[in-house]
Amino acid sequence: MKPEDEIQAVREGFAKGGYICDKQIATSIFLSRKLGKPILVEGPPGVGKTELAKATAEYLGQELIRLQCYEGVDEAKALYEWKYGKQLLYTQVLKEKLGDLMEGAVGLKQSMDRLHEFDDTFFSTEFLEPRPLLKALWSEKGAVLLIDEIDKSDDEFEAFLLELLSDYQISVPELGTIKAKSTPIVFLTSNNSREIGDALKRRCLHLYIPFPDSKLENDIIKARVPDVEEGLRKQLVAFVQGLRTLELKKHPSVSETIDWARTLVLLHAETLDAELVRDTLNVLLKFQDDIENVDGEINALTTQAQKASA
Amino acid sequence: MSEVLTEFIRALRVADVRVSISESIDAGRTVELVGFDNRQVLKHSLGQVLAKTEEEKLSFDETFDKFFAFDQFKPPPKREDGPGQAKDGEGEGEKSESGQDAPSDGEGEGGADQPMPGQSSGGDGGAPQGAQSGGKPGGKPGGGPVNEGDVRQAGPNAPGGQTLLEMLEAGDAAALQMALAEAARRTQLNRIRLFTQRGMYVRRILEEMGLETLDQAIETAERQGTEAGDARGQEIREMRDGLRAQVRDYVEQQLELYTANAGKRLREEVLSQVRLSNVDHRDAKVIRQLVKKMAKKLIALNSRRKKRTLRGQLDVRKTIRKNIEYDGLLFDIVWKSEKVDRPKVMAICDVSGSVAQYTRFLLMFLYSLSEVLPQVRAFAFSGRLGEVTDLFEKEGIEKAIAETMHVHGGGATDYGMALEDFADLALDDVDHHTTVIMLGDGRSNNANPRADILDKIHDRARRVIWLNPEPKSLWNTGDSVMRSFTPHCDRAQTCASLKDLERVVSELLRTAV
Repeated sequence: MKPEDEIQAVREGFAKGGYICDKQIATSIFLSRKLGKPILVEGPPGVGKTELAKATAEYLGQELIRLQCYEGVDEAKALYEWKYGKQLLYTQVLKEKLGDLMEGAVGLKQSMDRLHEFDDTFFSTEFLEPRPLLKALWSEKGAVLLIDEIDKSDDEFEAFLLELLSDYQISVPELGTIKAKSTPIVFLTSNNSREIGDALKRRCLHLYIPFPDSKLENDIIKARVPDVEEGLRKQLVAFVQGLRTLELKKHPSVSETIDWARTLVLLHAETLDAELVRDTLNVLLKFQDDIENVDGEINALTTQAQKASA
Repeated sequence: MSEVLTEFIRALRVADVRVSISESIDAGRTVELVGFDNRQVLKHSLGQVLAKTEEEKLSFDETFDKFFAFDQFKPPPKREDGPGQAKDGEGEGEKSESGQDAPSDGEGEGGADQPMPGQSSGGDGGAPQGAQSGGKPGGKPGGGPVNEGDVRQAGPNAPGGQTLLEMLEAGDAAALQMALAEAARRTQLNRIRLFTQRGMYVRRILEEMGLETLDQAIETAERQGTEAGDARGQEIREMRDGLRAQVRDYVEQQLELYTANAGKRLREEVLSQVRLSNVDHRDAKVIRQLVKKMAKKLIALNSRRKKRTLRGQLDVRKTIRKNIEYDGLLFDIVWKSEKVDRPKVMAICDVSGSVAQYTRFLLMFLYSLSEVLPQVRAFAFSGRLGEVTDLFEKEGIEKAIAETMHVHGGGATDYGMALEDFADLALDDVDHHTTVIMLGDGRSNNANPRADILDKIHDRARRVIWLNPEPKSLWNTGDSVMRSFTPHCDRAQTCASLKDLERVVSELLRTAV
């Protein structure tokens, strides 16, 4: 199959699951699968970065494994942990067996040698509690691994990820190197609260998702909020697009447009008017400053939106 | 990896996109995967592999469009009735852009104008190659390196039996484009560095393409001495001139592609070292961008809040919490650590004539760093001192600076008065987290400098840094009273160029506590 057909197939597959995307996004999924490289997704909040990973998992019919990053996330939370309680319990239960084991052993050295034969039992995979990264590596049918908000984690953690991202393997001191059973598709998302290191960027495909244009946003709303009528949909999309051209603290994102569309459906609105917009603006804008600033523009924007849909 | 790609990556690097070796290897694999058939897919794919920030994406798009341009040799309008192939060639470029199936186009086209070089063996190599050499990368030196061998002979006497004259007469855009690209490759046009080399390259390329045969044809035609012969000669002459103009366009495009940024870079380099007071007005914009660039670098380096472990001080609470899983046995010990705070900065700036320019750039710098320096207070004075923090927070930097100059600028400098005003206004807010930056030449017009106030500030503040635009040799000459100020500063240094400024600010951020 030709690349462009495969890309089109990805788009259609996503659309079935209700995720509408442009060619750029579909291309990156295609590339990531073919080249076996992770995707670093950047873009303003609420454009569907996390949603993309979910949609991919659904499209490929694979499990989505999610690791939410935060300041202080470390190996124990991301990779694995020893089940200490279980180890303790087992040693208690097996204490009596120890006598049998040592039977016939003469001297300290011999007993020690006997023990050495068993020492690894307590540090075997049975006692390993897999965390998201390890789960993704162990997954038999392949998985979609989402490392969310990587910019919130510490530098050390970012460095720790490098081995995983380039070779799909990870080193556990007690067990050695664990290789992925099947290469997972890895998404990293970032809100750009800090610059991601070059080493990490180099290992990833870089996908930037901007705010969608009005046509794409229209399609998204159509897929996500099918109840909203076409006329109103065009109006509200035009209005949101107009809002994004203004100087605001935070521009309304796609998810907020979807919320707004749902709100308008709930209110049985048929067309957009200034009054209605004023009442529901807090769904779109999350800063009081922004709401106040926009107030003067509402009439103009609404008329513009009505015209655009006509 | 193909030659086109190498050249493209070189052009990207010129356009300030950082491409590492491993990324270019990835790009090679990507091209193998998607091929050159579909322009849009290629652009999207390479964009994700090579450009890793928003700005880089912009540069990438621009370079891609320029590099893979295919707009040379628009068929001359008068020939519209004649050959359909020329239009075909055009159409193909457009079609592949619209995302359609390019390879089959290539084949179709190949059928239409048989002598297209590359088609000769393109058949066995697969249709995509044929399309590729005629298609987008045809605009490049070494159009289709994959079938380099075939194209190689596409010079003066094309293997398909088509001479330059025939190509011109047929208005065969695709073939001409290829011949041009091939000639450019052989003359190593990609090494062009200076605009003065244009003429030379145009001539060499024309020669490679077979200018001589054209001249001969003109000569033969004109020697006939008949009217028809003269007309014929004139016709060829026109075609030759047209060709020359097109080749010149092409050479200029390539020059732009490979050297566009070199000049800019040189200028930036020079500007960052020149004394700020000597900066020309017309360079102000470049400097502004430069400040932004430097600020961005500093932000990237310092965006993370650093922690410092105090070794030897046990953090009891954290240790207990951490060791719960070991049944409360304390064997994994946590030391106390403290977060390294961002410094509070107070900048006291002289805005009188001689120093105003420096103040402008210092403030520009400090306010471009608001991400890592959230608490900057700015004071401006020449005679009396006033706080301008609000101005900078509300207005854009440019406007705020202009306003500051207007309100506080002009007037004789009086350090004594300014320091008194500062003491009244903000001395109480100076604490051990505060870094005070004084920017001024220390020329107090023979008024009392009131160094005692600076001493008080020094006692309270974490650091006092004095930045003086004058070179050290001029300190303490004339009415300069640096000698009475320097004892009360942690550092006093010359700060004349952007580089100096960057160093100061970077120091400020690094050693911040």
